[in-house]
Amino acid sequence: MTTTRARSAPAAADPISQFFDDLARPGHLATFESESATIRFDVPDDARAERWFITIHDGDVSVNHNRGPADVVMTIARPAAAQMVTGRLNAQAAMLRGLLTCEGSMAACMTFQRCLPGPPGSVGRVAPISSKTVMAKHEAGRKM
Amino acid sequence: MSDQLVNILEGNTFVVSDDRGDIETSATDPTGLFSFDTRFLSRWVLTLNGQRLTALSTDDLQYFQARFFLVPGSGTVYVDSTLSVIREREVADGFHEELRILNHESKPVTLDVRIDAAADFADLFEVKDALEKKGSYHTSVSGQSLVLRYRRDTFARETWISATEKAAIDEQGLSFHVTVPPHGEWSTRLDVVAAAGAPAGEGESPIRIRGQIARHVRRDMARGLEKWLRHAPVVRCDWEAVERIYHRCMTDLAALRFSTLTMPGRSLPAAGLPWFMTMFGRDSIFTSLQALPFTAELAATTLKALAERQGTRIDDFRDEDPGRILHEMRYGELTAFEERPHSPYYGAADATMLWVVLLDEYERWTGDTKLVRDLERAARSALAWIDDYADLQGNGYVSYQRRNEQTGLENQCWKDSWDSISYRNGDLPGFPRATCELQGYAYDAKVRGARLARHVWKDESYAEHLEKQAADLKRRFNRDFWVADGEYFAVALDQDGRQVDSLTSNIGHLLWSGIVDKSKAKAIARHLLGPRLFSGWGVRTLAQGDARYNPIGYHVGTVWPFDNSFIAWGLRRYGFKEEAAAIVAGVMDAAEVFNGRLPEAFGGYDRRATRYPVQYPTACSPQAWSTGAPLLLLRAGLGLEPSGDNLIVDPALPEQFGELEILDVPGRWKRIDTVGRGRIDTERRTHAHENGHAGHTPANWPVVSKAK
Repeated sequence: MTTTRARSAPAAADPISQFFDDLARPGHLATFESESATIRFDVPDDARAERWFITIHDGDVSVNHNRGPADVVMTIARPAAAQMVTGRLNAQAAMLRGLLTCEGSMAACMTFQRCLPGPPGSVGRVAPISSKTVMAKHEAGRKM
Repeated sequence: MSDQLVNILEGNTFVVSDDRGDIETSATDPTGLFSFDTRFLSRWVLTLNGQRLTALSTDDLQYFQARFFLVPGSGTVYVDSTLSVIREREVADGFHEELRILNHESKPVTLDVRIDAAADFADLFEVKDALEKKGSYHTSVSGQSLVLRYRRDTFARETWISATEKAAIDEQGLSFHVTVPPHGEWSTRLDVVAAAGAPAGEGESPIRIRGQIARHVRRDMARGLEKWLRHAPVVRCDWEAVERIYHRCMTDLAALRFSTLTMPGRSLPAAGLPWFMTMFGRDSIFTSLQALPFTAELAATTLKALAERQGTRIDDFRDEDPGRILHEMRYGELTAFEERPHSPYYGAADATMLWVVLLDEYERWTGDTKLVRDLERAARSALAWIDDYADLQGNGYVSYQRRNEQTGLENQCWKDSWDSISYRNGDLPGFPRATCELQGYAYDAKVRGARLARHVWKDESYAEHLEKQAADLKRRFNRDFWVADGEYFAVALDQDGRQVDSLTSNIGHLLWSGIVDKSKAKAIARHLLGPRLFSGWGVRTLAQGDARYNPIGYHVGTVWPFDNSFIAWGLRRYGFKEEAAAIVAGVMDAAEVFNGRLPEAFGGYDRRATRYPVQYPTACSPQAWSTGAPLLLLRAGLGLEPSGDNLIVDPALPEQFGELEILDVPGRWKRIDTVGRGRIDTERRTHAHENGHAGHTPANWPVVSKAK
C-alpha cells in the first residue's frame, strides 16, 4: 500500500503524527465498532501547536486537522503525548497526574483510549512457576 | 482514642472519624476524609477552651450523614455540663459540618472554639502499607479559607476549609472567639472541599476533582435513597427477621452505589464500605447478579461501565489483555505515577466470563435486548478472551498467572489470599493455576453467549460454535477434575495439569454454572451439606480435615455468605431443594444475629460449638456481595427463574419462614407478585448432632452486637 503524506519530512519521525497516521490508515477498527464519538486532540506547543480531529462512527475512523465541535477535547503537552501514543504513559494515569485534561464527554475519552498501544516490551506471557518455588517463597516470607 | 468509627460517604468520598466526630490518624487507626482514594484530612479535632469533648451519642442519620452530641471534658463517668455541642456532618465533594454550641446557663458564656486541621494526602495504598510520601506540602491562608496543599510534579491535591462565621485562620486550623447568650446558641457551618490543585501555582478557588475530570450531576441523596427504597419490591414474611434483613440490605446497597465519571447519575455497586468504594469487576458483577430480582439498574450500569474499560492491548504491568474485564480501579497518587497498576488493573481470571453470564442473566430478567445488541462487540471480545488469552497452558482450561510480579495479584480468583489454593496435604501449587470454578464460569459464559448469539445477535453459526466448545469443555472437565477417591472436583489443576485435590466450597459454584454431569451432582450436594464442609451456618471455604483448614482462616475454613448464596442457587439448579433450603436457613439465621448486615465472612466453627456465628474481623462493612447474599437466598428459596416472558416460582423454603411474599418483582413481565410457604424441615441439617436442643428460636440466642 502506498501512503502519501501531506506533511513535511520531520512529521514522519514524530511519534504523535505517526500514531494518528496509523490510526486513520485502515479506515475501520473493530475495537470501535458500535461506538461513536468525536475527539479533538490538542497538543499545545509554543513552537508548533497541533490539533487532530478524530471521528469514530461504528468502527469507521477518520482523522484530520479540521476545526469543529467535538464530544471531548483532550489536551496534552508534546512530550507526554509522545509517551502516551507509544504506550509509555497510561492515559488514565496521565489524567490523574494532571498531564492530560479532558473537557467534555468522559465516555468519548474512554472510547479514544481503546486504540492506545500497550507498553513496549509487554509480551503477555511469563514462565511457569513450580510448586517447590512457591512453597520456598512463602517459607522465606514467613521467616522474615 | 475512642473506638467507635462512623462512616459516611457519597460515591468514593467518605469520612471515618471517632465517635466525637474527630479525626486523628495514626498507623493503627486509618481515620480521615477520603476522596478519589486520597486522604484529604488526617486531622480534624474540635476543642472548647483547649479541652477535648466527650460523646454522649452518635447517630448515623443516613449513610451520608452523621450527628454527634457532645459535652466538654473527657474521661469522667459523671457528666454535668452547662454546654452541649452538636456536630452534624454531610458528605459531598468533601463534607459540610454544622457546628452548634448550646448554652444551658442563665448567663452568657465566652469560649475559644478551635478546629485543628491537617492533611497528609496519603494514597489508600500508602495508608495500608505505611509508605513515605514523595511530594511536598504547602499550607496557606487564602482569604477566608485555609488551604492545605500537596504537590508532586504535576500531581496536585488540595483541601479547602472555610467557615460561615468569622474565624481567625492560621496554618494549623481555625479559631473562633465567641460569646453564647444565656440559654442561647452559637453556630457555624464548616466547609471542607477535596480538590484537584491547579496544575501550576496556587489557584484562587478549589477545583473540584469531579468538576475537573467530568461534569458531575450532584444528586439529592436523601430523595435518592427514598426513591430507591420505594421502587424496590416489597418483602413480607411471617418470620419478621426476613423483612428487617431485606430492608437493611436494600439500604446498604444504596450506600454502596457508586457513579463512574463516564456515567454520572447511574450507579453500580462498589465492593465495600469504606476501603473498597471503587469499581471491582468481580464484586460488582456478583452483587448485580444477586440483586437482579430486586433491581436491574445495577446490572445495566455494571455491564456498561466494565465494557467501556474492557482491555484492548497487552499490558504486562496491568495484566491486561484484549477482551479482559477489569479487576479494580483506583484514582490515588500511586496509581497516577504507575507505581500501582490500578488504572485499571485487570488481574482477575473470572470477571470476563462472569460479565457474559451477567449480560445473559440480565436479559433473561429484563428483556432488554437493546443493551445486549449494544454490547455485542464487548461480549464477543470477552468470549474470545477465554480461548485466545486465558488458556495459558494450552490444555483447554482457563488458568491464571500474574505477569506483574511486583504489585500484581497472585491468586486471580475470588479466593485471592496467598494460601487459598492448596493440595490436601497443605502444599501450594505452582503457576499457572486452573481453578475449577473458572472452568464452570467459562462453560456457563459459552452456553449463555450461545443463547444471546442465537436470539439477539441472530448468528446461528456462532451459537453452534460456542455450544460445541461448551459441550467439549464439560466432557473434559468432568474427566480431568474429578477426584475419584473422594467423589468431588479438585479445586484446581496445577502447572503440570495435576489435580490440586483439596475439598472446597468451589464445587458449589460448579453446580451454579451447570458444568457438573448429572451423575456426579448428587455426590457434590452430599459433600456441600456433609460434616466436612457444612458448619450448620453455611458451607466452609475449605473442608475440615484438609491440612490448611482453619475455621478463622480467610479462605481456608471461614463461611462466606456470598459464596453460600451462589451455592444455594446452584443446588436449586440441580433440583436439590432440601439442601438449598438448609443453606438459606443457616445464612439467614446468621443474618438475623448480625442484625441484617452479614459480614464478609464468619468463622467455620461448628454451629453446635459456638451457638452463634463468630465474625471474621475485616475492615469493610457493609461488603457489597455480603449485602447481596440474602437477596439471592430469597430468590433461591422461592425458586424464582425467568422463563420467556414468565417468572417461574417454585418455593423450597425452610419451615421457619412461614409465608414469604415478594411483591412487585420487576422484570420483562413488568411487575409480578410471588409467594411461597416454608415447608422444609431444615433443623435436622442446620443443627445436626445437636441432641436435646429445645427448639429453634432465634430470638433466644445470645446476640453479639459486633465481634471485634
